[in-house]
Amino acid sequence: MITHQHPQPQKPDRVVVIGARGFIGKAVHSRLKAESVTVLALTSDDVDLMAPAAADRLAAAFRPTDAVVMLAALTPDKGRDASTLVKNLVMMQHVCAALEKSGCAHLVYFSSDAVYPPELSRVSEETPASPRDLYGVMHYAREIMARSLAGMPVLVLRPTLVYGAGDPHRAYGPTEFWRSVREEGKIELRGTSDDMGVEMRDRIHVADVAALTVLCLLHRTAGTLNLATGTSRSFREVADLVASQFAGKIAVVPTPRKIPITHRYYDVINLIEAFPDFRFTSLDEGIRRVHGKTSGTN
Amino acid sequence: MKPVIGFAGMTHLGLVSGVCAAEKGFRAICFDSDEARVASLKRRELPVSEPELDQLVKRNAERLVFTSSAGDLAACDVVYVAPDVPTDDTGASDLAPVNAVLNQVFAATRREAVVVMLSQVPPGYTRGAMRPSRTLYYQVETLIFGRAVERALRPERYIVGCENPGKPLPEAYAAVLGAHGCPILPMRYESAELAKISINCCLVASVSVANTLAELCEKIGADWGEIVPALRLDRRIGEHAYLAPGLGIAGGNLERDLATVCALADRHGTDAGVVRAWVANSRHRRDWALRTLHREVLATVQNPVIAVLGLAYKQDTRSVKNSPAIALLEVLKPFGVRVFDPVVPASVVNHPRCYAARSELEACEGADALALMTPWAQFGKLDPVAIAKHLRAKTVLDPYAVLKAEACRRAGLSYYTLGAR
Repeated sequence: MITHQHPQPQKPDRVVVIGARGFIGKAVHSRLKAESVTVLALTSDDVDLMAPAAADRLAAAFRPTDAVVMLAALTPDKGRDASTLVKNLVMMQHVCAALEKSGCAHLVYFSSDAVYPPELSRVSEETPASPRDLYGVMHYAREIMARSLAGMPVLVLRPTLVYGAGDPHRAYGPTEFWRSVREEGKIELRGTSDDMGVEMRDRIHVADVAALTVLCLLHRTAGTLNLATGTSRSFREVADLVASQFAGKIAVVPTPRKIPITHRYYDVINLIEAFPDFRFTSLDEGIRRVHGKTSGTN
Repeated sequence: MKPVIGFAGMTHLGLVSGVCAAEKGFRAICFDSDEARVASLKRRELPVSEPELDQLVKRNAERLVFTSSAGDLAACDVVYVAPDVPTDDTGASDLAPVNAVLNQVFAATRREAVVVMLSQVPPGYTRGAMRPSRTLYYQVETLIFGRAVERALRPERYIVGCENPGKPLPEAYAAVLGAHGCPILPMRYESAELAKISINCCLVASVSVANTLAELCEKIGADWGEIVPALRLDRRIGEHAYLAPGLGIAGGNLERDLATVCALADRHGTDAGVVRAWVANSRHRRDWALRTLHREVLATVQNPVIAVLGLAYKQDTRSVKNSPAIALLEVLKPFGVRVFDPVVPASVVNHPRCYAARSELEACEGADALALMTPWAQFGKLDPVAIAKHLRAKTVLDPYAVLKAEACRRAGLSYYTLGAR
C-alpha cells in the first residue's frame, strides 16, 4: 500500500507543518528539529485556514520543493456535526488550492482510523474505508481531496488512538484516566463489574507517530499507512497500568456502557515491511514515560 | 500394438508426463521447440527436480525421444499439449505459449491423431481451440510439485473434457488412459476445466480453515496438532484432507485458479467473496514469519543476523514462485542474512548482505534467529542442541514443525511454530 520514492533516507529541503501547535503537530515538529530538518511551522495564528485569503497566503509560503504535512483539523471534541464537517472541508479546500498553485515535493495528510467502520475488529490498509460518522466522512473526503492533487506524491497516515504527555483531548483512555485519578482518586471504566473495560484497542505513543512520520518524510513515502503498533490491550489493562503509577490503591470502578462492546486490532504488516527495524514504545513504557512527564518525577 | 504418445512442451508438466508414459511402456516423443532445452534433456540434464525423475529417465531411455523437430510428432497417435502456463503476480495466466504449442501440434500431427490439452487452461478455452475435422480433448492434470512422478504414475482418476461426453473415447486415447487402471470420468469441456479449479478450491478452503484456526490456537493456548487427528477421523473431512497450517498458498497454480474464479465471477456477477477471503488469509499467513521475527528479534536486537533455511516454496522442488522465504528475505534487506537450501542456490536471493552457507549449521553460525522456511525432510534431522550452539541468540521459527518443539525448548531455544504457542 506504500512505496518509498527514496529507498535511502534523504532530508527534504524543508517541511511545512500545518497545525504545528496540535498534539501530534508539536511532536512531529520537535522530531524534525531533532533530525536537523528545516521546518516552517504554521499554526492558526499564522494562517486562519477558514479565511478566504488562506489559499493565497499558503501559496505564497509554499515552495515547490517543500514537503507539506497537513495536520490541521477541528477534532471531534470541537464538534461532530455538519457545521464542523463543512469547516474542516473548507480548511482542506484552501490547502489544496494553495498546493495546486505552488506545487510541492511531497504531501503527507494526517487522517484518522475513523474512516474504518468501528465494528470491524481487524483492520489493515486493505480494509475498505466506510466511515460511520461525519468526523470519519470528513477525513475520508479530505484524503480524496489530497489524492486528487496532480503531480505530487501523497501519503495518507491513519493513526489509531494516540496518547502521550500533553494530550489536550479528554477522550476515554489513558489521559482521561490520569485526570480522573488526580481529580477524583478513581478510574471509571465502561461496563459492569464483570466486563468493565474489556474492549481491546491499539494505542500508539505520540513520539512513535512523530518518528514514523519523519521516516516517511525522509523516504518520501506515498500511499496509505495505518499508524498502529499491532498490539492491542484492553481499557482495563490501561486503567490498571495508569493506576499502578500512583502511590496507594486507586479504585477502578464500572460506569454504564452506552455502546456495545467492540474490539480493534491492526494488521501492521505493511508498516513492518516499510520500516522493519522500527521499534515501538511499549504501552507499559509509554505510560510510565507519560506519568513521569506529567507528574514531574522524571 | 501400443499407441505412440507425443508430449509438446518440455517444462515441468510435459517432461514428467512424458517420462512417466515411457515408464508405463509407451514410446514417448517429447518435443520442445527450444533447441537448448532439448539438448540438455538429451544429456539427461533435467530442468526440474522431482523425486525418482532422474532414475526414470535413465531406465526408460530406449522409449524416450527428445526432439526439437515438430515433424517428429507425425508418428504419434495421441499428442499431449503440455507446456506450463506462466502466471503473473496476480495469478493471471499467459496463454500465448500454450496457444503457440497447440498450433504447432495441429500443424505437425496426422489428421486422425488425438490431441489432448493437458496444460491448465481457463473454462471455455478448449471449445474455442477446436479445429474442424480434428479430435481434441482436455485432460485435467493433477501435478503436485515434489510429488509429480507419483501422481503421474498412480493417478486417482482421469477427468476428461470432451466435445461430446456420450461418445466413446478413441481407441488409442482409451488405451493410454486404461494403462493406469483408474476411473475415467468423461464430461463436457467446460465441466472438466472447472473440475480442476474446483479441486484446487477445495484444497485452498481446507488450508484456509487450518490456517485460520491454527492462528487462533496460537492465541488461546490450543494446539492445532491435537485437533487435526479428530478432524481426519470425521468421514466428511477425511484422512487425506489438507489440514496442515502453512505460510499461505504458493507455487502459482492455486493462485491462478483463485484468480480465474474471481475473474469469472466478476464477469458473470456471481459471488466470489469467500475466494477473495482465502487470498487475503493466504497473504496474512505468509507474513507469520515476519511478524514473529519483528516481535521477537528485529524490534529488540541491534543489527540482528537472521539464518534462513529453505528457499523453495515447498520441499522437493526448486521452484521459488511466491515462496514465503523469498518474500521474507525481501523485507530483511536492512539486516544480515545467512541462507541455505538443499536445491535452490542462494543466487536467487536479491539481498545486499546475504551469505550463502554450505550447510544448515553454517547458516546458523552467529545468527540471532533461525527461520526454517521450507519443510525439507533433512532439516528435521538437525539436532536442536547443535542449532543452539551455533546461534548467537536462541530464537527459532519453525512454521511447519519439522523440529520437535520439546527438544528445541530443552536445548534452550525460544521456539515458535504455527498452530501452537
